[in-house]
Amino acid sequence: MTMRVGVIGSGFAGSTHARACVGIDGVQVVAIAAATHEEAAPLARECGARATASAEDLYNDPTIDLIVVASPTYLHVTHATAAAQAGKHVFCEKPLARTLKEADAIVGACERAKVTLGVGHVVRFFPEYRQAKALLDAGALGRPGLATFTRGTFPVGKTRGWYMEEQRSGRVILDLMLHDLDTARWWFGEPDLVHARTVGGTGGLDYALATLRYRDRPIVHLEASWAEHAGFRTSFEVRGERGMLSHDSRASAPLQIQAPPVEGLPAVMPATTTHETPYRAQLRSFFDSLAAGREPVVGAREGYNSLALGLAVARAARERDVVEWKAPA
Amino acid sequence: MTRRLRVGLVSCAHVHAPGLARTIASLPQTELAGIYDEEPARCGPMLAELRATFDPGIALHDLPALLERSDAVVIASTNADHRRYTEAAAAAGVHVLSEKPLATTLADGRAMIEACRSAGVQLGTAFPVRSSAAVLSLKDAIDSGRMGRILAARCTNPGRYPGGWFGDPAKAGGGAVMDHTVHVADLLRWLLGDEVERVEAEVGSFHWGLPVDDTGILLLDLAGGAFASIDCSWSRPRTYPTWGGLTLHVVGEQATIDVDVFRQALTHHDDAASETRLVGWGDDLNRLMIGGFADAILEGRPVPISGEDGLRALEVALAAYRSSAERRPVAIADL
Repeated sequence: MTMRVGVIGSGFAGSTHARACVGIDGVQVVAIAAATHEEAAPLARECGARATASAEDLYNDPTIDLIVVASPTYLHVTHATAAAQAGKHVFCEKPLARTLKEADAIVGACERAKVTLGVGHVVRFFPEYRQAKALLDAGALGRPGLATFTRGTFPVGKTRGWYMEEQRSGRVILDLMLHDLDTARWWFGEPDLVHARTVGGTGGLDYALATLRYRDRPIVHLEASWAEHAGFRTSFEVRGERGMLSHDSRASAPLQIQAPPVEGLPAVMPATTTHETPYRAQLRSFFDSLAAGREPVVGAREGYNSLALGLAVARAARERDVVEWKAPA
Repeated sequence: MTRRLRVGLVSCAHVHAPGLARTIASLPQTELAGIYDEEPARCGPMLAELRATFDPGIALHDLPALLERSDAVVIASTNADHRRYTEAAAAAGVHVLSEKPLATTLADGRAMIEACRSAGVQLGTAFPVRSSAAVLSLKDAIDSGRMGRILAARCTNPGRYPGGWFGDPAKAGGGAVMDHTVHVADLLRWLLGDEVERVEAEVGSFHWGLPVDDTGILLLDLAGGAFASIDCSWSRPRTYPTWGGLTLHVVGEQATIDVDVFRQALTHHDDAASETRLVGWGDDLNRLMIGGFADAILEGRPVPISGEDGLRALEVALAAYRSSAERRPVAIADL
């Protein structure tokens, strides 16, 4: 049986997820919705799908089984709840929503409609992070005492204004640092204390630092930057009792292309070069769990708690004070 | 060449002592007046090592005699001993360059500054990284306005546990936070021309089985509005190819600058020793630091990095310990 997919959004996330679906056995992208037909058309053509300016078209299409919500963050609640109410499974780009109240609405709608919710914390499918997780689980380092994460890209607010609007995106903390906050939860569980600072400058630039304290250990330090003018970069280090793991995307890129600069070239995207992209692995995993009736790897609870931790970081930064943290779900 | 500054080395306790002695002996503007240590046994191996390349002169186990022969001393004792050696030098009219951290308590640091002030001698703090050409280029970029307003910085000064008394709370005054915070705190104050106002920190002892901390992450608020973090941890394992490093990631409104002070190094894959290590080829920062200190004394100018600079950096480390213990932000003014 073919899984028929509709995608809401044709920006970075929408096009990434739509392209990732193409080529997965038993999955077909049937429609792309965007704010205008013109915005949806090129991606729709590429995926062999129809373009529409109306998300309702997707909800009302009885042949669609699953909707990928890849709209700007503040619209997740609208699209995800409507998709669930129409009986579609929902795969929602991270963050799950802009606020916990909105996240409650999405989770509640999915539960009532008995559809499955997946959340796009794609770092859980990046092979370098999976390899590190496997080593940590195997006890390669002993107990971890310190972990540091950095994640940066160019000032994205230059290209899409909503990224810089606190009420619409949650800015660099909810959009970018959230990846590593989710990774900290995935690797180490729920922290107890949160420290953070953030600053947004001119020109689409945004920057944040945060520290998580786990009661005994580890201490986790995170940097998220929309001031990385040289392009996308991730790194991490984990220090345990018996050694250290380190990763730097710039040092591990197996392929580097040099060419004269082109006007308006988008961000250089992750250096991970493997046969299956992490985005496709993420969706394949979600489709597999649907087919098998299993809880997805990143379902409602994981997506909800990671959002809550992101909001706690934002609060610590706003109050410039230590925030106590307890996972809500 | 006019007069050379006669510089004595007080104590061989610090891991930097042999390098400092070699530097003092080889700089054109200084001569090594002698080496004092209250534990001659500790000094012996170092002297033997130094004699392999040059004559370190007389090893004195008599501090007054060394001070008699010296215009200035470099103090490379345990952190807790900085105060009494500084007071002895000041009383003898001898200038002081103290290893960092300046002291282990604010009271000691203030007493050192006062002793030197009232004796009319200069007190300097050993922060060699200000001398790095890469750091000076960063300072130039900031001062020129090319980076725009400086918004934030992420800084690291990771290392290994240096061994010995560095793990003894009574002698070192703390662990990694005491050892490494001060370098970066000084750089931030100097680069931004600003002061640290508040500190939030998490501190732990996880990796070396020590009675002092080996892990620390600090968040600093500067008075001018910028913020910064410092990773001062002794996080580098024994198998890491070098002792550690110092990095600055500085975000300005117009530019982001990365400095990796000790990146200038060859990688040596050594089958004989079954290890891979980095062999630095950059400028010798201790040489630049001691040269700058000596030039200032010889020319009658204020030394480039003062005792007050050392005290300001120490305040940040002490605030970090208090913040971590009390789980709240600590204002420097409330120390």
